[in-house]
Amino acid sequence: MGFIDILRVEYKLVYAEIMRRKSMFLAIILYPYLFTGFTLFIGYSFGSANVFIEKIGVDPVIFMITAGYIILSMLAVLDDILWKPLNDQWIGVLPYIIASPVNRLVLFTTIPLPRLTILILLASTSIMPIYTIYYGINGLLTSLLVMGLTALGSLLMVTPAMIITGLIHSIGESWRVLNIVRPLIMILIGAYYPRFYMPIMGQVLSYLLPSSHVVEVIQRIIIDIPGNYYLLLAIAFTLALIYAPGGERSIVYWERKKVREGVKIS
Amino acid sequence: MLRLVRAILMVFKVYVYTELIRSKGLFFGLIGFSLWLILFIAPMMLFMGRDVEPGVVAGYAFTAILIFLSFSMATWDWAGEIRWLINQGILEYVITSGSGFLPHFLGILPVSFIWVGFALSIIYALLTVLIGPPLILIHDPLLFIVGFIMLLMVLMGYALLLGGTMISTGSTGVMMELLSFILPIATGGLTPLKRLPSGLRIFALCTPFSYPAETIRYAILGIEPVLEPSILLLRGFLYSILFLLIGIVYFRYQVKKMLREGVKATTFY
Repeated sequence: MGFIDILRVEYKLVYAEIMRRKSMFLAIILYPYLFTGFTLFIGYSFGSANVFIEKIGVDPVIFMITAGYIILSMLAVLDDILWKPLNDQWIGVLPYIIASPVNRLVLFTTIPLPRLTILILLASTSIMPIYTIYYGINGLLTSLLVMGLTALGSLLMVTPAMIITGLIHSIGESWRVLNIVRPLIMILIGAYYPRFYMPIMGQVLSYLLPSSHVVEVIQRIIIDIPGNYYLLLAIAFTLALIYAPGGERSIVYWERKKVREGVKIS
Repeated sequence: MLRLVRAILMVFKVYVYTELIRSKGLFFGLIGFSLWLILFIAPMMLFMGRDVEPGVVAGYAFTAILIFLSFSMATWDWAGEIRWLINQGILEYVITSGSGFLPHFLGILPVSFIWVGFALSIIYALLTVLIGPPLILIHDPLLFIVGFIMLLMVLMGYALLLGGTMISTGSTGVMMELLSFILPIATGGLTPLKRLPSGLRIFALCTPFSYPAETIRYAILGIEPVLEPSILLLRGFLYSILFLLIGIVYFRYQVKKMLREGVKATTFY
């Protein structure tokens, strides 16, 4: 199977699920607003928007809706890749997937694309209307740029996610570890709390994630801080490429372990 | 009576083992939970002015999270239990055992409180590190107890209503998640009512959830409620009792209906 065949299969699978569970679709639309509402309500209850603007340089509504959108898009990729082996095991198809001759890098790159497509397009219900209300036509254009960059940043998560997937699923009770790794990565990406505010150790770990550089570009754009955007994007691409062989090896290592030990039926 | 106590103890033991002890569930769960909290609490610091006392801010955040956690507990542990029992195919066994739902829920209540207790300790530690030690002074212990009792009654009523709806419709996990997010925000659980826009404030006062939240905030943070404390308590207590009664009646009705019509399948997510 080539890239197109796998892509078609993945799209069919995910879209059939979404058509079946319309409440999931509704939730996807509402999540950026829920996250924004949650953070703004707590923030306003003991602080003020003016302080936020003074510290960050942009209205908190713009910042938080963007952060929620970024987090959801990146979680789509991260979750699809991290949970895939467990889901496959639970529905009993893992042995067939391990036995298939499909290139693992191609497979894992296509897995998150269907859900990511929906999430990226859902910019039209989250950042686009908010940006347009605040900045008019310029806001609309900025939201399109942010949408493109978020898609890019999410895709650059594929290779580090593959490394993490292989390593985590090689140990037992992997879902418990996954529930720790997911929020940790979301913190380090720096969407809600910009990485230039993080302690030095947090910054170092954040720089290792390709997507965090794209998030910084997005934040610089919405705050209007000039800088070398291309350099940050180049670092993000380079890191993602460096992680690619490691990602494939990590998945192969986990699969070989499964072949040796057998797949548990849960 | 002895049979009831034994059944409660048995449920308690089983859930402590599976949820808290097995595979270090409590340990891993708390680490994951703390990290999610950091993700959402860290940006709160960006709203803090230099003139604001960190302890006060941490106290606000602690109370908001306490209310939010209480809602999550009622949604996921109490109402969600019905969904879990249906999904695992255990509900029929609970019914045919003849014990009813009471020992089951009384057995899981302490497990929920243990979890929330540990979670609150983690939150306190996190807030101390990130912002400063939360300034929590119980101004009026009696009022705090009354507020807490009201909160429990309201949450039980809500869990029974949601659980009953789950029995009758097989509602989705996604809807539960949305509810557990929207309710505390819209009903003044996270923010003092006086800081809400007037429309939302009126809406919040129409729900039973706002009264215990305002009472607890008044008791431990000293934030003046929008209503006179005596009116707040009177209305809140009556509303909580009424809400709990409605929950009990509705749940019993749905259980009887289920016995006639069979168990509905729930959607997976």
